[in-house]
Amino acid sequence: MVYQRRYRLKRHHKFERDDRKYVADIETGDLIQINDVEWEILGRYESQTLYQIVERLKGKYKLTMVFDGIERLERLGRQGSLLSPIVEPVAPVHTKVEQTDRMPRLLVPFHFTNEKSALDYVTGLNRYQLLRHISAFAELETLAFSEIGGEKKEVSDFDEVRVRNLRVPKSSALTAPWYALDGYDGILLLSQFLTDDLLYYRVPDVPIVHCIDGVQQLRHSLLKTLLTLSAFQHSKDTLVVRASWMKEWLAELGVPVENVRVIPDGIDVVAPIGDKALAKQHTAAIFEKPMFVERPVVGLISGFEPHRGAKWIAAFARANPHLAIFVYDAMLAQHYQHPPENVVIFSADDEETRSVLPIFFQALDLVCFPAMPGTPLSIILEAVAFGTPCVAMAKYGMPPEVADAGVAVNADWDHFGNFYVPMQELSRTIHKWLKPFEARGVCDDFTERIVHRHTRKDAAEAIVQLFAEGLQRETDNFEKTESTLFPPIFCRRYEPETGALKSSVYRLGINRDDDDLETALAEVLSEGHTSAEVESVLKHFQPESSVCP
Amino acid sequence: MLGLPKMLHQLHLFEEDGISYAADLEKARVVELSAVMLDILKLAETQTDDTIVETLGASYPEDEISEAFERFSELEKEGLLFNRGEDLRRSFETESKWRKLLVVIPGINVDSFFDIETLSAGTNMALAYMIRHLMEYTDLHFVGSRNRKITDGVYEVDIGIDDLIRLRSKIAETYYGILTLHQEQDRWLLPLYRYPEFPPILVQCHAPRGHGGHAMNSIFRHYAAMRDCDGFTAPSDYVRDFYANYVWDPSFFHTLPNGVDSKLFRPMNKTAAKHEVAKEVGDDRIAIAPTVGYLSRVQSEKGASVYLKLARLNPEFLFLIAGPNLGRYASQKLPNNLVYVGFHPREKLPLIYNAFDVYCFPSMSGEETFGLTVLEAMACGVPPVVPNFDGVPSVVGDAGLVADAENFDHDVATLVSYPCPIDFSIKINSLLNNTEMWDAFSEKARQRAELFTWYKTAERIVKLFEMLRHKRKLINPNRLLNVFAPTPPIENEGLQELKCRSVLLSMNANYERCLMRDAVYPLRVEDGLVLSILKNHTPREAEAVLAELVADETEARAILKRVRGLIDGTA
Repeated sequence: MVYQRRYRLKRHHKFERDDRKYVADIETGDLIQINDVEWEILGRYESQTLYQIVERLKGKYKLTMVFDGIERLERLGRQGSLLSPIVEPVAPVHTKVEQTDRMPRLLVPFHFTNEKSALDYVTGLNRYQLLRHISAFAELETLAFSEIGGEKKEVSDFDEVRVRNLRVPKSSALTAPWYALDGYDGILLLSQFLTDDLLYYRVPDVPIVHCIDGVQQLRHSLLKTLLTLSAFQHSKDTLVVRASWMKEWLAELGVPVENVRVIPDGIDVVAPIGDKALAKQHTAAIFEKPMFVERPVVGLISGFEPHRGAKWIAAFARANPHLAIFVYDAMLAQHYQHPPENVVIFSADDEETRSVLPIFFQALDLVCFPAMPGTPLSIILEAVAFGTPCVAMAKYGMPPEVADAGVAVNADWDHFGNFYVPMQELSRTIHKWLKPFEARGVCDDFTERIVHRHTRKDAAEAIVQLFAEGLQRETDNFEKTESTLFPPIFCRRYEPETGALKSSVYRLGINRDDDDLETALAEVLSEGHTSAEVESVLKHFQPESSVCP
Repeated sequence: MLGLPKMLHQLHLFEEDGISYAADLEKARVVELSAVMLDILKLAETQTDDTIVETLGASYPEDEISEAFERFSELEKEGLLFNRGEDLRRSFETESKWRKLLVVIPGINVDSFFDIETLSAGTNMALAYMIRHLMEYTDLHFVGSRNRKITDGVYEVDIGIDDLIRLRSKIAETYYGILTLHQEQDRWLLPLYRYPEFPPILVQCHAPRGHGGHAMNSIFRHYAAMRDCDGFTAPSDYVRDFYANYVWDPSFFHTLPNGVDSKLFRPMNKTAAKHEVAKEVGDDRIAIAPTVGYLSRVQSEKGASVYLKLARLNPEFLFLIAGPNLGRYASQKLPNNLVYVGFHPREKLPLIYNAFDVYCFPSMSGEETFGLTVLEAMACGVPPVVPNFDGVPSVVGDAGLVADAENFDHDVATLVSYPCPIDFSIKINSLLNNTEMWDAFSEKARQRAELFTWYKTAERIVKLFEMLRHKRKLINPNRLLNVFAPTPPIENEGLQELKCRSVLLSMNANYERCLMRDAVYPLRVEDGLVLSILKNHTPREAEAVLAELVADETEARAILKRVRGLIDGTA
């Protein structure tokens, strides 16, 4: 499994003479003097991966010497000596997997302690469920580090995830992504909160599937994260979002969505506790609010920008005093202390509260998603799972995930989590749907279908398939190995005709001035950046959008 | 036929996949050998052509042998396999381990630096003096096409311009620096800067402007391409000051004043000198009249037309011209007081200078960084009058008179200045009509000239290389990683095109954590751009890009400064 090599060693001959080491490139006729470490690297270059070479030699030489040696040899390659770039694409992982009939080996970096504040109970549960199901399709491994010489503490396997305990020297400078070079078929990233995870994107050739937590709301901060992620991604990498509107939202912003996949979390739906009347009685008892038995019950499910949400809920509750309103929102449950009397705010943040949530969902006569793009799909599915019709405030029409569960009211949503619900139209729609209505019949066997459609097993399998799919995508020109034929020198140029001094490009080899600064800049940038990045930088500096007029 | 036996280069013979090869260690090249070539090579150092043909005749057909000989002579022409010239290996081994400087000046015959009469241009003359004094501080190896000893410590070596890049490791091992001359039309030097292996390269610059902008543009290219450990030398501060108007880092221009041979150029008995020149030229007026002197080619660039005007303005003085010929004046009707005194070998020049009462230097060429003849005249105690233009006043100091000149903002053809004839005339008159003043300036001129010695020049070169070698040690690769990401839209501005920003990673290309706190840091897109450019391009190239993209120069310079600091600080 040699993934990282980008060059082929040319026909060569190594020899020593007068205490000096040389390598003769038979193909070009170049004779190159090399040092001890380069000599050893050459001996391993064809048969070992970068990871193996460095790991084997780092005990004998200083780490930087090994990297410097590889860097120098590959620089020779770019200059046409000793190594020549491999042009054929790297063999996709999935063929290997099929041939050897083994499951792909995936790295799942964990930093649960670092992200405690960002993780809620539901997220943690979802993630755990996801990993459990993925382990049926892939070998999962995570990294744990301990110092050589320090206390030896082995981290034991985490359920289905094997822990690779690494003993590293105290002064080790290598970051965790280095160990991802060790033959993994893919890297599975499960959090958008950990900027550390971004470093894995610099591991070449190993496809990354980055799953955005299903409970994430479309907010400015998430947008910033997603935009950053999209810049880090290469064609082999995939971003998994949990709802179709996330993808639509990114597309609307002009973010490339070719590598964005919609894979909803699987859901667990418990068996109904009985009929709706019983559920209503339970709800009334739990909240000590008889209104849940006496009045029609409408659920308003999270997705709000909290401040705006509180105001809107109050307005809605006052406009509809005849309704019993059940609000599901973690942030508001904690902070919105005195809602109107016909409102109850609830949040499921532990096992106990989570277990009663389905009772409330069953008690609803109508479920309403006023800020749907901010609502996790799994919550939406669970809320409609008992056949309750829904009214969805949607920007992009009725989302396909709940297409036959209710009706959409056009609502607006901006990129900052602000939602705008037309109160009159919403109230009208709610009243229409609260009355017995023919359309409601179609929802009866909804539960079964929705559960069938969104199993955790399917989600897990779809995610694992993305690793093979990523490798089949056409690669962009990132990490070019061929050097530019006529390297540009950026320099100032004085024009005697006008007396002007301008920046220009001089091309070595053809020895000619070339005024196309932009093309040369694009060439230089594309040596280390994706074409999307290059494009955005050039656009940034176009005169009309220059930030430094 | 090859004329064997001949000394071979250090070769390593080897076989790979049934084919024989010779690795030429002295040329860093590998040559494929046929069986017969291999056999010839084994005998080449001891046997003659004929013996070899005879010996191998039994094993190989005749045409194969002659083909092999032909191939060898082609290879020899390319400088491969056979030692060309003398065997220097032993002399290098036995000689002192003194440091060696590689001198690369294509286009000028090495020998001419040691036979000054063959050189006409002042630049080359200055170079020859400099080289002859540099020998006392360091060994000099001239790039050439054969190995030979020129004099103690000075060699021509069989390293061609085309061999330099291939031999970079060997050059780095052998030489502490490369000394060369800036020549606009040269194409070999720019690619060299791309190789970190080379020792510091010091480029002598004698023509900083003129030539219709070509000189400046060539300097700009070199400035951009140079590594941090390379640099220019120029004979006066003026070049650095001039380029400070155009580039952000004028410290790449090092002042390296010329010297003068004060033993050769010295004050003589003026009356005797005038008489001797008068006799030689056949013009008695030289012996008695006050004389103004001009020692140069008679060309517009050198101020020939100004000199003519001065002669017309001052009929009471004799205006002497010493140069290869009358040049532009040949076809003109010249005033009676303009006298051509001929072209003289170098050892006779002190006599000519001594026949001048005032030395007039009206040059208007963009190549005038110093004015070597001004210094020679001064060494002879002749007070100079020079234009207030480029590098010349800095040579004269207070030991001569500086006349007004109109300096041009832009090159006009090869001209960059026009000396004011009226002011020149006033200055010449003031010297020739005031004996006390003349005496004072004559004394000061001689004293000042003695400050400029070629030893100082040579010593400064060695010091510059030492300084550049220090800078070379500070160069570090840029392994930082950054990404360009779109920036989210700004609230209340509706949907707009996404702006761009940059993100810096705390992990470098070697998977090392080079910044401790966060995994990623936001950067301005300009900073990110510079960071990316500096991977494979110089800070001077980033400067050119920034100058174009960022309108505020102060801000642009600040960007470059902080990104360089970031790279150096995290290396």
